[in-house]
Amino acid sequence: MNKKITAIILALCLSACATGLIGCKRVVDSGKPRVALVMKSLANEFFKTMEDGAKGHHKANSAEYELVTVGIRDELDVAQQIKLVESMIAQQVNAIVIAPADSIALIPVCKKAIQAGITVVNIDNKFDDEILASRDVKIPFVGPDNRKGATLAGDYLAKKLTKGDKVAIIEGAPNAFNAIQRKLGFEDAMKRAGMNIVSSQTAYWETDRANKVASAMIVAEPQLKAILCANDSMVIGALAAVKAAGKTGDILTVGFDNIAAVQRALKEGRILCTVDQHADKLAVFGIEYALEMLSKGGTPKDRETAVDLITAEKLK
Amino acid sequence: MKKGVSLPRWVTDYLGMAIVLAILLAIFGYSARNFFSLPTFKMIASQVPDITILAVGMTLVLIIGGIDLSVGSVMALCGAMLGKSLITWGVPLPLAIGICMLTGLLCGAVNGLVTITWKLPAFIVTLGMLEIARGATFFVTGYRTVDTATSLDFITETTIAGVPMPFVIAILIVALGQLVLSRSVFGRYMVAIGTNEEAVRLSGIDMRPIKVTVFALCGFLAGVAAVIQTARISSANPNVGVGWELQAIAAVVIGGTSLMGGRGSVIGSFFGVLIIAVLSTGLDQIGAEEYIKRIITGAAIVAAVILDYYRNRLSAAK
Repeated sequence: MNKKITAIILALCLSACATGLIGCKRVVDSGKPRVALVMKSLANEFFKTMEDGAKGHHKANSAEYELVTVGIRDELDVAQQIKLVESMIAQQVNAIVIAPADSIALIPVCKKAIQAGITVVNIDNKFDDEILASRDVKIPFVGPDNRKGATLAGDYLAKKLTKGDKVAIIEGAPNAFNAIQRKLGFEDAMKRAGMNIVSSQTAYWETDRANKVASAMIVAEPQLKAILCANDSMVIGALAAVKAAGKTGDILTVGFDNIAAVQRALKEGRILCTVDQHADKLAVFGIEYALEMLSKGGTPKDRETAVDLITAEKLK
Repeated sequence: MKKGVSLPRWVTDYLGMAIVLAILLAIFGYSARNFFSLPTFKMIASQVPDITILAVGMTLVLIIGGIDLSVGSVMALCGAMLGKSLITWGVPLPLAIGICMLTGLLCGAVNGLVTITWKLPAFIVTLGMLEIARGATFFVTGYRTVDTATSLDFITETTIAGVPMPFVIAILIVALGQLVLSRSVFGRYMVAIGTNEEAVRLSGIDMRPIKVTVFALCGFLAGVAAVIQTARISSANPNVGVGWELQAIAAVVIGGTSLMGGRGSVIGSFFGVLIIAVLSTGLDQIGAEEYIKRIITGAAIVAAVILDYYRNRLSAAK
């Protein structure tokens, strides 16, 4: 009896897997340039938005190019992403648009891609300039200046505070380039305005960890006036901590990314501001740049994309 | 047996952990600003209920010689169901909470049934559930955080005799868990299964319903934890709870429960949760560097288990 059930369940599982596999689109050779979008974790809302934007762009321009999107399971799984790039080289795509999981570790494999005649464009997380130079590789970066974005938010916050006020920063993953840039941007603005940064700790981009870190900061520093978070997932956690401490309105919060879940809090002024780097366009900019390079050739140069400050007034 | 050391059992059982806790409190009271203050304890009370409830479920599963690696993902899935049904699908609140807990119960029951039916190691079955539940969470939320607005605020804002409701619920669950474990026939069976499954089987007891119930209970508790967790951060985040199974296991083992089954205490697990919570809160308040936090937390876990070893020898020598 049990054996029969086992067999049926196994058969069901296998057929489900098979259907799933067949459902995946095969890439057909059509003569159009093939662009591979190599992402970080697709389980992350930010990258999901990026991918959706790219897919939308591809749908509207499907006559121009073929799009393959791949992502890794865990944002920090560098080895997996290297394998993905290698398989894209093997598939002989024409261009690779990559959001590297590590700004150094992915350089060698991208160099290999360039040597195989593939156009490589860097988005989201910028490759380390020094290593690029030492390896004699040129990969253009298309994307926003995170430091500038964070400075915009910090400057706006500074206007609401008085000189000498105590503020705290909640950082993203400490090994991520954009996390470091955002932290620097916040620091630039706060120092320029004469604020006192009493604490700066990482919460690894996560809501729940940010909630705990922010709670501890608020208790340790009763005079705290503001918490600057390197992304919106963390500002959600910080905001909940401010509320739990009964300090809504006394402690201002600042985020980054402008995700859907913070819209209401922004409109109601509970989150002071966030920064939109147009996630839905980031991959698109990279793809457009790659296509441009494919058709025109030319020396690759970095291209900066827009970052905008989002406040309650802007959403009205 | 010397008269001088014959303290009541509950004292020797929890004395070691109480001492560790006291030492930690003393260290942070001295080194962290405003640590010894009402806000600190209020904050810890608001942050431990979810992990405490997970740890209770984990304790029960470990006692029967099983393990449940899926609790973090299942909690995320339950939270996602709660947030989605409440905000996107417009389900009334009591029903949404029901759906949330039912989801947990189902995941737990599946874990138990699969483990029993095919006599598989719980480790691998629940590892599978860890992936499945996380995948389902991403599917339900579309990878996006659901803002639950103020709809769950009553949970965090209600206080019973000045104590926040989530903390009261967690304490009640700890008490209930301990009562079931040490004062009921069901609990005796659980310990027996964890000690010697074969002997239980040979004495003519069908232990399968007991095992399934324990796994289902663990899943259900993940659902309860999800309600509190979602309320605490006013949102259902699809990436929440990653690694919480290990946090729960760490707390439970610090609390003196054996990974091999057959021995354990729910109250001990609660102490374990408190030790980890005080440690992490203290380190956050000091503003310690991330690497220091990790090293100290790891060392504390090992130290607590070593201490437990000596406590065991002490009570065995009596």
